[in-house]
Amino acid sequence: MHRRTFSRKYLGIPYAAFLLLFVAAPLIVLIYYAFTNGQGEFTVQNMTGFFSDPNTLGTLCYSFGVALVTTAVCLLLAYPLAYILATSRLKGKSVIVLIFIMPMWINFSLRITALKEILTWIEGNLAYHPFLNTVLGMSYDFLPFMILPIYTAISKLDGALLEAARDLGAGEAQAFLRVTLPLSLPGIMSGVSMVFLPAMTNYVVLDMLYNSTYIMGSLIGSYFAAYNWNGGSMIALILLGIICLFTLLTGGTDDENRRGGALL
Amino acid sequence: MKIRKFSRNKLGTAALFLCGFLLLSGPVTVNAADGDGQEEEVTLRVCNWEEYIDLGDWDEEETIDLDSGDIIGVNTMMEDFTQWYYETYGIRVKVEYSTFGTNEDLYNMLTLGDTYDLVCPSEYMIMKLMTEDQLVPLSDGFFDTADKNNYYINGVSPYIKSIFEKNEIGGKPWADYMAGYMWGITGIVYNPELVSEEDASSWKILNDPAYKRQVTVKDNVRDSYFAAVGAIKSELLNSEEFKNDPNYQKKLEEEMNDTSKETIAAAQEYLQDVKNKAYSFETDSGKADMVTGKVAANLQWSGDAVYTMDQADEDDFPLAFAVPLESTNIYFDGWVMLKNGIGDDEAKRHAAEAFINFNSRGDNVVRNMYYVGYTSVISGGEDMRVFEYADWCYGAEEDEEEVSEYDIGYFFSQDEDGEYVITAPSDQVYRQLFAQYPTQDAIARSSIMVCFDDEQTKEINQMWINVRCCNIYDISVWVWAAAAIAACILAVLGVRRVRRQKTVY
Repeated sequence: MHRRTFSRKYLGIPYAAFLLLFVAAPLIVLIYYAFTNGQGEFTVQNMTGFFSDPNTLGTLCYSFGVALVTTAVCLLLAYPLAYILATSRLKGKSVIVLIFIMPMWINFSLRITALKEILTWIEGNLAYHPFLNTVLGMSYDFLPFMILPIYTAISKLDGALLEAARDLGAGEAQAFLRVTLPLSLPGIMSGVSMVFLPAMTNYVVLDMLYNSTYIMGSLIGSYFAAYNWNGGSMIALILLGIICLFTLLTGGTDDENRRGGALL
Repeated sequence: MKIRKFSRNKLGTAALFLCGFLLLSGPVTVNAADGDGQEEEVTLRVCNWEEYIDLGDWDEEETIDLDSGDIIGVNTMMEDFTQWYYETYGIRVKVEYSTFGTNEDLYNMLTLGDTYDLVCPSEYMIMKLMTEDQLVPLSDGFFDTADKNNYYINGVSPYIKSIFEKNEIGGKPWADYMAGYMWGITGIVYNPELVSEEDASSWKILNDPAYKRQVTVKDNVRDSYFAAVGAIKSELLNSEEFKNDPNYQKKLEEEMNDTSKETIAAAQEYLQDVKNKAYSFETDSGKADMVTGKVAANLQWSGDAVYTMDQADEDDFPLAFAVPLESTNIYFDGWVMLKNGIGDDEAKRHAAEAFINFNSRGDNVVRNMYYVGYTSVISGGEDMRVFEYADWCYGAEEDEEEVSEYDIGYFFSQDEDGEYVITAPSDQVYRQLFAQYPTQDAIARSSIMVCFDDEQTKEINQMWINVRCCNIYDISVWVWAAAAIAACILAVLGVRRVRRQKTVY
């Protein structure tokens, strides 16, 4: 009797279906809309329109600015913390890490609402500092995404390398700059990409903290509300392109670093 | 009523893309037969605003004890309708009820292939659907006043009825296609301790330096545009000459629906100033921020204004409502039947019209109004329960010291017999009662905002984007310089790293 053998590759079917349905299909729809006009004819007008309109370009710059400052703030806060936690011999270390990660378990709009009240208490009228509030809100929201990868990267660091550096005459600062920092770079990079990209589009934070200036996410929403799916899709596609570019760049550093690390 | 829940709407729009794609392959139609297979069942697909119909489950103490009997919502309106329809017509009906967040969302849903039989958008969206020939007219039977089950035609306010008959699009009156549900006007909710009634009675409050960073404005292009036009033309609209013009109503509507290049440009300039001077544009936070006292005034729809004042009253924090003297935008949400849902299906059409009628029955009107907070277009006709409810809500207690006579006869009857007067506490004249049933004075300066054509819509949307976006030419030199310096530092660091690694090789 011939029995059909169960092959391991059948296990992949659900995932293939998932990819097809939820990754490939929407992407095709997105590309279709981005390169057609309202009548369904092929056009690149949506793309040229995006790059020739001072409003969309300005919005891109503004989103970039928000994301850049947010990422910088997160990095400045997260790195020392992750470093101290990873290198200290504290007993309840994991508990402290947990405390910083814990906000992630609470719904983000609740957290932002709480932050709004705290900021109102400190600043009085929130409307005077929309940019500052946005950056604070986003940093608060995304900080755990920065801490975790950096912490992991530093924890995994081989202590022997640091001892070797000291044996060879490096001071504390030099050992940190030449050994710890380069080796924790993959952690920094993954942290940066996890903070930077959502910060460019997360308009809900802006909205809840009374910033009336559009970022990329809200711009797409406004195009959709005006039934202009084609223009909105093009913006989404351009964002996707920027993200791809970004990932490629950071991914490159990752490889390079691993090679460098092995050589050290 | 327009946007309620922000995040859901926007997320919904995004999700639409996906869902729409999946649904295009074949909309699922349910032709359910009853369990025993004997009786036929009609499926009615209704799509309404979120939180815009009574979903029942009231507490015992919420009972509304009118003179003509108690009213309480136990089941959802849909369940009660199903039962009533079976008892009245002997036909089983199944209501598939879903909701939408904004008129534009609904339109996108319809375009992407969702099928509904009965929907409840605002008047301008109905006009758009009418122009696109997407609607089925209401049947003659629906307007038969002799049928006692025709609660709509027997109960609709004469004031609303005349508006629906007077206004036409493409030569057809609204009334042929649209049965009203709720209506309201736009105005300013304000904190009387911080804002004077006079200041709140003008659209110019939105960028008034005296209230810098203290006013929130609805994040909605149509309402913002209306307010901007009102503010720009304030002088003309307030002039005695204009107000006494024999064609005042017609001229007012022309002025308020002005979409000339100059007006759009002026509106943009005005709204940019509002963006710099107001607290913010808000999608969802306006009501809560009024109640908590974060802001002093808020551009609001009258129904939401009632809700806001009710909430604030619970904290003993009195707020008030003002209707700008220039003009106010009167809006209607109404039921319309869709061609691609109803088609020629006589049974479906009958059920859809019955659904409208059931929601127009006095007790159900009261239930919906209590639950939703908006004002129904139904005045009740012979049925006094709607007026009794208004009196129940706002009528003064016997020991009330200061009372005012508040006449809402224009809404409830055609004759000026003074029968529909509420003796209310004096402060209600500029509070909830005023928002729920505006005075005839306020109504006299109301204007419908028409459905702009594609070209006008495009221009106004572009105006809105210009207001809301950061223009690349407005970014200051210092920001560019800082960015350039940061880029240089990063580049130098990067180059040094690469070099160092090369030396290691």
